[in-house]
Amino acid sequence: MSHKILVVDDDNALREMVGIVLESEGFELSFHDAGSGALEKFQEVNPDLVLLDVMLPGKDGIQVCSEIRSKAGTPIIMLTAKTESEDVVRGLEAGADDYVVKPFDPTVLIARIKARLRPLTQVVEASGDLVTLGPLILDITGHEVRRGEERISLTPLEFSLLLTLAQKPKQVFTREMLLELVWGYHYKADTRLVNVHVQRLRSKIEDDPDNPKIVTTVRGIGYKAGQA
Amino acid sequence: MKIRAFLRWGLGLFRKYLQARAVFSTVASSTILLILVGGFLSYSIGNGLYSTRTKQILNESERAAVEVQNTFSASTVNDEVALQTLLNSVIPSLESSGTSSTRKVALLRSPNQNQELILQSPISADLDTSLVSSNLREAVRLSPGQLKYQSISITENEQSHPGIAVGTSIQIPQAGQYELYLVFDLISEQQTLDFVQRTMAIGALFLIFAIGAVSFFVTNWLVKPVRDAAEVAEDIAEGALDRRLVERGEDVIANLAKSFNRMTESLQKQINKLASVSKMQQRFVSDVSHELRTPLTTIKLAGDVIFANRETLEPAARRSAELMHDQIERFEVLLNDLLEISRYDAGAVRAELELQDLNGVVGMAIAGLEPLAASKGSDILINIPSGSVDAEFDGPRIERLIRNLLANAIEHGEGKPITVAVGASDSAVAVSVTDQGVGMSRAQVDRVFDRFWRADPARKRTTGGTGLGLAISLEDTHLHGGWLQVWAKPGEGACFRLTLPRKQGEVFTQSPLPLPPKRKTTKSVQA
Repeated sequence: MSHKILVVDDDNALREMVGIVLESEGFELSFHDAGSGALEKFQEVNPDLVLLDVMLPGKDGIQVCSEIRSKAGTPIIMLTAKTESEDVVRGLEAGADDYVVKPFDPTVLIARIKARLRPLTQVVEASGDLVTLGPLILDITGHEVRRGEERISLTPLEFSLLLTLAQKPKQVFTREMLLELVWGYHYKADTRLVNVHVQRLRSKIEDDPDNPKIVTTVRGIGYKAGQA
Repeated sequence: MKIRAFLRWGLGLFRKYLQARAVFSTVASSTILLILVGGFLSYSIGNGLYSTRTKQILNESERAAVEVQNTFSASTVNDEVALQTLLNSVIPSLESSGTSSTRKVALLRSPNQNQELILQSPISADLDTSLVSSNLREAVRLSPGQLKYQSISITENEQSHPGIAVGTSIQIPQAGQYELYLVFDLISEQQTLDFVQRTMAIGALFLIFAIGAVSFFVTNWLVKPVRDAAEVAEDIAEGALDRRLVERGEDVIANLAKSFNRMTESLQKQINKLASVSKMQQRFVSDVSHELRTPLTTIKLAGDVIFANRETLEPAARRSAELMHDQIERFEVLLNDLLEISRYDAGAVRAELELQDLNGVVGMAIAGLEPLAASKGSDILINIPSGSVDAEFDGPRIERLIRNLLANAIEHGEGKPITVAVGASDSAVAVSVTDQGVGMSRAQVDRVFDRFWRADPARKRTTGGTGLGLAISLEDTHLHGGWLQVWAKPGEGACFRLTLPRKQGEVFTQSPLPLPPKRKTTKSVQA
């Protein structure tokens, strides 16, 4: 099976080069060269994953990211030239699942893409079809979360994060553990990924995101499901 | 003690407050002036009163003397009793006439005369004859027919007041020379003078109070703009660059306000300019970052594709692909270091502080460099305390710093063992990396943190450092408020010691680890 990847970048050479590298890995690629029109292209192509440059003419990548996020939960990896935390966090807050800093190794890029496209098999196997967490019901096969009758729309990554926590409600997960279980990174990665995604998740599922009850912070260690 | 404390407080107030000083000196100087003027006035009023009264008294006395002389000259009595009666009658007649009701009279016989008739000297009932001094009597006797007078002090009911004694000689037929004395009381003049003085004193007190109040208000009015200016200057120093003084009127104060505002204006402009330059530099760094990184990414990806397919290339092209691959890597490291140092230069670096275990970070840095050390034949010896060494620092930066120190030690360690030590005290934690390699001279130690500086330019670079590693390490250290120090000796090796505060902002005075490191005793060279 071949996954479709949309590359949005204004640099022709880089776009083509990324194309060469990813096509050699068997991905099917489409391209777009500006921020404006990126959403239309996304809807037309309906890719399995988006590689999105932060600095784009017309509309910046962060804006494009939140536009796509408002329409679909498709994994988004930002390509950023900046390592300043502000830019990275802004991209993640806009809904990106991950980011890669230029200049990146082709192996790193491919590993990140594969991690995002990986089905959530290892998590699913462990339990039945439905998992309850406080007022929430997680439907594993239907890949959705309900609060009573209301459906809450989560991205696959957010769903996977919530499910990982919900399956072991007593356990405290460190950020490193979550990076490995949810993101699939076996090496040292940026723990800010976890922080920002927990915040995004809370803003969707908690009554009061500033005073979380479903996903709580264990100071100095990490996160857990439910209250202490 | 209390008084001294009070004085000190007063003096402090005096030193501290310009206004208090101004009011005090105004009041003090006007008090002195008032005392001088008041003294002069009271003296001249007293003098005037005295001389007017004296003149009047002398006129009165003259008339009295003439009258008495005439009485005796015209008298025809010649028996002793009649003369004595006449003599006695003079006193009440003189006592009652004249403007001054309080004059007293004495008619005294001049001594040393040989006359047949010795009459009794009549004297006013309550006159103390000692008031008529012998000096006066002598003067009267020596100049017959002339009025002589003397100021005296009359004591009455234990109170003394001034008076005047006037005397002249009188010739009494058959009885010879007598002296007529009139003693005048100046009590009413004294009362007038007292009243005037009292009034002046009250007036002066009131005036001093008024001057104090006026000078307080005037200085307040004058000092207020200065105080306002000080307040505004303080605000500006705190960073409120928009603060201005109120410019009112055309006077010197308004000029001060205008100049002050102009100064602040230009200061603000300069600061804004500097700020915008700094912002531009940060923008530049950020832009360069993006602009360079995108083509470098393409080059890197392309290089990797070519490198991955190098087996299919001709030998020359294959070697080229390998060289390109390595140099792209080196270029990337150099670019990263350059960007990092320019971020520091732009002041755009902020530490992500977190309480963590220094041992763990040191362990990770060592693990990362062990392959390089092994390839050079250097063993890494570890000397760290058991348990965790917790401190507040930016983990990635400190790990990079220790990696830098280790890479440096490996490069210059000539395959000899490298020692990594960790130490901790209550206020600080420290890491030292010691090699036993080529070492450095004092001059080299002085330059070791300079950008792109190499200890020996002729020396082959093997580990591919950028020349910015130690400069960045030093910046990282300063970011944490720590120390990065070096000891080195040619032929014996070098030791870099990093000391960080346990908690950000905490002050430490000593590193938990020794520098030079505990080994054989050596002379130290310290940067």
